Amino acid sequence: MKAASELKVNSVILIDGQPWIVQKTEYTKSGRNSAINKIKMKNLLSGSTTETVYKFDDKVEPVMLDKLDVTYSYSSDSMYVFMDEEYNQYELNADDLESVLPYIVDGMTDVCSAVFFEGKVISVDLPTTIVREIVYTEGSARGDTSGKVMKIAKLSNGTEIKVADFCEIGDWIEIDSRNGEYKSRAKAPA
Amino acid sequence: MRVTWDIFCSVIDNFGDIGVTWRLARQLVAEHDQAVRLWVDDLDALCRLCPEANAEDAVQRLRGVEVHRWPQDWPPVPVADVVIEAFACQLPAVYIDAMTQRATPPLWLNLEYLSAEDWVAGCHGLPSPQLNGLQKFFFFPGFTPQTGGLLRETGLIEQRQRFQQDPANRQQFLQRLGINIEPEACLISLFAYENPALASWLEAMAAAGRPTHLLVPEGRIIADLQRWLGVDHLTTGDLHSRGTLTVQIIPFLSQDDYDRLLWSCDFNAVRGEDSFVRAQWAGRPLLWHIYPQQENAHLHKLEAFLKLYSAGLSAVASAALLAQWRAWNSAQDMQESWQAILEVLPELTEQAENWCQQLAGQINISAALVNFHLNWLKCPPKV
Repeated sequence: MKAASELKVNSVILIDGQPWIVQKTEYTKSGRNSAINKIKMKNLLSGSTTETVYKFDDKVEPVMLDKLDVTYSYSSDSMYVFMDEEYNQYELNADDLESVLPYIVDGMTDVCSAVFFEGKVISVDLPTTIVREIVYTEGSARGDTSGKVMKIAKLSNGTEIKVADFCEIGDWIEIDSRNGEYKSRAKAPA
Repeated sequence: MRVTWDIFCSVIDNFGDIGVTWRLARQLVAEHDQAVRLWVDDLDALCRLCPEANAEDAVQRLRGVEVHRWPQDWPPVPVADVVIEAFACQLPAVYIDAMTQRATPPLWLNLEYLSAEDWVAGCHGLPSPQLNGLQKFFFFPGFTPQTGGLLRETGLIEQRQRFQQDPANRQQFLQRLGINIEPEACLISLFAYENPALASWLEAMAAAGRPTHLLVPEGRIIADLQRWLGVDHLTTGDLHSRGTLTVQIIPFLSQDDYDRLLWSCDFNAVRGEDSFVRAQWAGRPLLWHIYPQQENAHLHKLEAFLKLYSAGLSAVASAALLAQWRAWNSAQDMQESWQAILEVLPELTEQAENWCQQLAGQINISAALVNFHLNWLKCPPKV
């Protein structure tokens, strides 16, 4: 068991047999030196989100999820197929990949983590930093080179993100997969 | 069938725990016809607030509430429809087990502390899934419609206004307590924790140039008062004068009489949670001694309330209010701030009534709890 005070973002706990991942915690002092932890969490099976409150010394059941390195293989009829080193295939539907779906592109070579709960693959995590190619963006209007002026760019799968104004079509860029933020220009993957 | 409630109260210190739970229990019975058991681990504390209670009786019926001493060895009792743990007290393990065994699980609520902080609205009513499969819900009192409200009996404000409209009521009540005041005296009640700032406030009142009659119920502030007066002992009925200040020790009052005291005074210094709320229903200016917390967490709570309470005040009155409350809660000199308060006392009195009326427009805790239960029955929220 784990104290609710130990819960952090990305902790996973079991409630009524369902795994929930912590997305946000908010610690506040209540009265007489007691404290509470408000937690926003997401059900890893259904994708639903909820908010709960725990006393700091409440106990929760942590879940250790199994993970396995996989690479993206292909998609078909909204099913996404990943493969491990031994060529085992793991299928996920688009709903399971909600947060990473905008960054899945054909030909990507990122080593991802397939996440398993009770032997079943339930999601895939991307590396924190991923490299993607810009297939379309407007030209730089003001010739800004500071990186502070942003504009919209489109990836090969149609995802639009904000990039520095100096980025051009054909550039490769680093993206933070946790929040979709542009980080910098990058070299094309080997 | 009446809905059954078990309210658990562990008296940690002072009278806030029992004050709130006893009021709530009474109100659920009187106004909502609920069947309420109140489990208290310190019946002496209840006796101070409710003189008809008997500390020796393990079970007694008081104003329709079944009051039980919370025993060390928990007896086999049927679990109620609604279970309230007041202020996050720990329920008996045997009782929690019985909750899990109940054919229909009870509604389990943690009645939290009162705070005006913004986060309260976002936490009020949220579930807290427990390892045993039960869900507990956090119920937060508060000052905005997004919270569970405050304890307020039906007709309380009207009753208070009737009392205040006829000076004879005040005179009779004060005489019953052996209090005789000069006609022009400013009457103040003082209920506070130990406070080094008291001496400077007393100095200010003694030098204010207008008669001030200070009523002090027996309690934790008495030692500070003795020190300032230079006496070894103070007891009920003692009367001391310094300059324009008269200090009088009065007995610790029942909840009903304490209300009348607050209604009778021109200014009330209160503390903690229960007397703080009652002073707001009195519609008179107040000074709050907040329960001190580690890392000065209480000062955030103080500021949160001040932000709401001072919103309708002029800049001058707001500055006076903030200075006095901050000084009182930080053990700082009170002389200057008291002088400033006296200058804006009429505005503060008007604001106190406006604030009371504003709060009275919101739901009270007992009604909010009954509604919460009804909604829970219709559509039990699931995580």
